[in-house]
Amino acid sequence: MILPKAMEDLITEFMRFPGIGRKTAERYAMHVINNFSLETTETFGNAILNIKKQIHNCPNCGLITDRELCQVCEDDIRDESILMIVESSKDVFSIEKSGEFKGVYHVLNGVISPMDGKGPEDINLSTLWPRITDNRVKEVIIATSSTQEGETTALYINRVLKDVDILVSRIGYGVPVGLNLEYADDLTLSKAIENRKKL
Amino acid sequence: MKINNLELYNFRNYSKQEIVFGKGVNFLIGENGSGKTNLLEAIYFLSLAKSYKTNEVNLIKYNSRFSRIQSNVTVNDKLQKLKVIITEKGKKTLINDVEVKKLSNYIGAINVISFLPEDLTIIKGSPKDRRYFIDLMYGQIDRQYLKELTNYKILLKQRNELLKKLSDSNIQDFTLLDVITEQLADSADLIVNFRRNFISNANGYLKKMYRFLSDNNKSFVFEYKPSIEKDFESQFKSKYKNDLYLKTTSYGPHRDDYDFVIENVLAKDNASQGEQRIMVLALILAISEIVYEKYNERPIFLLDDVFSELDSVRQNKLIKYLTELEAQTIITTTGLENIEKTIITQSKVFKVQNNTIREESQNG
Repeated sequence: MILPKAMEDLITEFMRFPGIGRKTAERYAMHVINNFSLETTETFGNAILNIKKQIHNCPNCGLITDRELCQVCEDDIRDESILMIVESSKDVFSIEKSGEFKGVYHVLNGVISPMDGKGPEDINLSTLWPRITDNRVKEVIIATSSTQEGETTALYINRVLKDVDILVSRIGYGVPVGLNLEYADDLTLSKAIENRKKL
Repeated sequence: MKINNLELYNFRNYSKQEIVFGKGVNFLIGENGSGKTNLLEAIYFLSLAKSYKTNEVNLIKYNSRFSRIQSNVTVNDKLQKLKVIITEKGKKTLINDVEVKKLSNYIGAINVISFLPEDLTIIKGSPKDRRYFIDLMYGQIDRQYLKELTNYKILLKQRNELLKKLSDSNIQDFTLLDVITEQLADSADLIVNFRRNFISNANGYLKKMYRFLSDNNKSFVFEYKPSIEKDFESQFKSKYKNDLYLKTTSYGPHRDDYDFVIENVLAKDNASQGEQRIMVLALILAISEIVYEKYNERPIFLLDDVFSELDSVRQNKLIKYLTELEAQTIITTTGLENIEKTIITQSKVFKVQNNTIREESQNG
């Protein structure tokens, strides 16, 4: 049978989310009809609206924020001499959770991948160079992932910075903490051996 | 390595079929079009998770939604259950009922060495045919090689896209091209070394195998002809102008070739059909020795229509050799007229007719 149009519309919208198929979208729509009060529905709708209206990339580092500058850039006690370059805002949230890093970030919002039509000019690099050359930055840590694209991006940044007098490093990749060596796959192990560290 | 049994469900023309193989030589006898090659294809698919033939949807029996290949195999005295499910959307591979998502972790669970009539094209065919053949054979023996090959192919694609972009837009900044070229050069270096070692290893066995099958003393070498031999980075970089003009990477392991050389003459220029068959067989037997070297187990031989163009002396020689190796072998043929009785009694014989398989009494 044909579903009411308003319900069909909502199902179509839910299906835009990753991992949501027709069946799940129908369940969600049914849930809204049966369990949401008008007030809840308004809050829900506004939350989606606001996220698009208020969230933007920090003009300084590219991290998503709802303020003029992001929390990290606004924070006076962060060490501006160390700058970590990451692929996405999500990576910043993960690293912040560890509490280990006290420097500042630069979020690229992507990696270089010519076959996906993404060159150096398509990721947030144009705002990176002036940040590095303004003399406050002494060390750059490149924390792109260890995929081919992440590796290319890291090497590219390193190459552009080769004549600038700062320390450039790459975060270590290898065996996860707490993992027994026998469960690590051979590629991870060879990476870990390659990236070994003096004790 | 042994395949103990094979269960097919809606695979090509088989609705439901089980076959229990013998540990040694297994003959599948049937007319052309009876469905014996489809059986070999199923085993091939079970091992490599891909077909040597057409697009994979055709593997599913007409009007069915999915097909399944399932088998109990013995590897290093350990029993394992392998399963491949093919649907229109794709395929799933399982070991002991646990899904293995990464194909490179599934391929190699069992090693098959196949001889198919189309393999004969590797002698007279294009370099691409030869590269495909070697990559397939070596890829299932060495997982590191398979991974590096995948890495190389991605880098190559990235570089070619970049060349297109640079050449179309007249950008003169080559920093990214330098970076990707260096990555590609590192990978190329590894691949050429892998291939060089593999081929030199194979040549160690090839002469003996060729002499055994051909009964002559001619020298036979399988030569590796890398497109770039060494100094990869500088070689790649010296060809920027050319690459930008052609908008593609014109040299590298993706342009490598191999030659079959008999008595210092290229086989592709003058070998007869029968000679070609012996050369390919010798190469396959040599590669199987490398598998044995590495795993201390014999791979499973899948030989499709191997007897045609071989005289009866050679047919018997080959089967005797495989029987003595104690390598599990599955051979399709139209008949066993030329095979000695004593060999047949040590083998298992199946009759394939209209896509049903029936075991024959052992001395039939």
